[in-house]
Amino acid sequence: MSLLADLFAGKALDPGYAEAAERRAAAAESAAGSTADGAAPGASRPGPLARHSFFVAVLVVVGLLLAVAVEEVRRSEPVAHKERARLVGEIRGRTSETDALQRRLEDLRLETERLRAVALTRSDAGRRTRGELARVAAAAAATSASGGALVVTLDDAPGGADGDDRPPTGRVYDQDLQILVNGLWAAGATAIGINGQRLTSTTAIRSAGEAILVDYRPLSPPYEVTALGDRDRLRAAFGDSSANRHLRALEDQFGIRADVHTKRGARLPAAGALRLRYAREETSG
Amino acid sequence: MIALIGLVAGVLLGLLLQPTVPLWLQPYLPIAIVAALDAMFGGLRARLEGIFDEKVFVVSFLSNTIIAALIVFLGDQLGVGSQLSTGVVVVLGIRIFSNVAAIRRKLFKA
Repeated sequence: MSLLADLFAGKALDPGYAEAAERRAAAAESAAGSTADGAAPGASRPGPLARHSFFVAVLVVVGLLLAVAVEEVRRSEPVAHKERARLVGEIRGRTSETDALQRRLEDLRLETERLRAVALTRSDAGRRTRGELARVAAAAAATSASGGALVVTLDDAPGGADGDDRPPTGRVYDQDLQILVNGLWAAGATAIGINGQRLTSTTAIRSAGEAILVDYRPLSPPYEVTALGDRDRLRAAFGDSSANRHLRALEDQFGIRADVHTKRGARLPAAGALRLRYAREETSG
Repeated sequence: MIALIGLVAGVLLGLLLQPTVPLWLQPYLPIAIVAALDAMFGGLRARLEGIFDEKVFVVSFLSNTIIAALIVFLGDQLGVGSQLSTGVVVVLGIRIFSNVAAIRRKLFKA
């Protein structure tokens, strides 16, 4: 660590100049000792003109470097700005493109529904199939649903959000939502949605890190679980269920807020893309 | 005086010509500038202490810039270019600071 040692000792970090000065002094002394006059010390070194020109050349190079660096920084700034603007523009373009495609998908879906309905009303068998299809679609959450509903709102316990280092005990976990949803199904709900996200029979409710994922999409509290069905029967059945007791226990022990109320006209959207698992396209010919 | 003229001439030359730095040289430009600054302040300090020597200045400038660029080049080849650049900047920065502190002591006696 000679660099730091020299630094703390207050010595010059580059002893080159001091050594050169010493050498010059020694040369001057020996020259003064001999009979030669002032021209002698210069004779062994290159001419002063050559040394001056080297010196000036180095300084010109230093100035050049500084100017080029400044120029370089000034030139790259608008480039970076342009690059960013281009990326932002691209993101906006792609987003609107996706929105347009989504709208087109909705339109096409409606169109298919309409055509299928028209085609099925032509025969008795078709009408039977249509009724069956409507029932199955409702069960699979393939169509939007509306009606009276029981709404249960769960929220994390107050406090512990910021400025509090204690481990958050009053958080809603995926298990709580699972118990609640299962209790609502058991109470006779015909359709359930969490924060506007429709649940199907295969929708997963799980947590990843701190977020609760429903159908692999993250939700943020408060969690509003809407269960469609006969309001009064739902309320009565849910009130007696073990899911309700679980909620009360959460409220008492951890301060998790749970609020149950009924709603007259609730609406749930259709579930996201449904995949066909067993059906195959008929091979023509 | 002649030093200042040379410096100003270099800056003017750079601003007028606006040379484009080739891409492969760009990582070495900041390092070269820091090395040049180190040589400059070393020379200024020596000048104030009355022991300035043009040959020492020229040689220290050339060796500083070349060795700094070489270290960074070697680091690039080994895959630790940014770390070695940091090392070079730290060492030269310490030297620049100590030289400027000496200059300050000479000029302001503080």
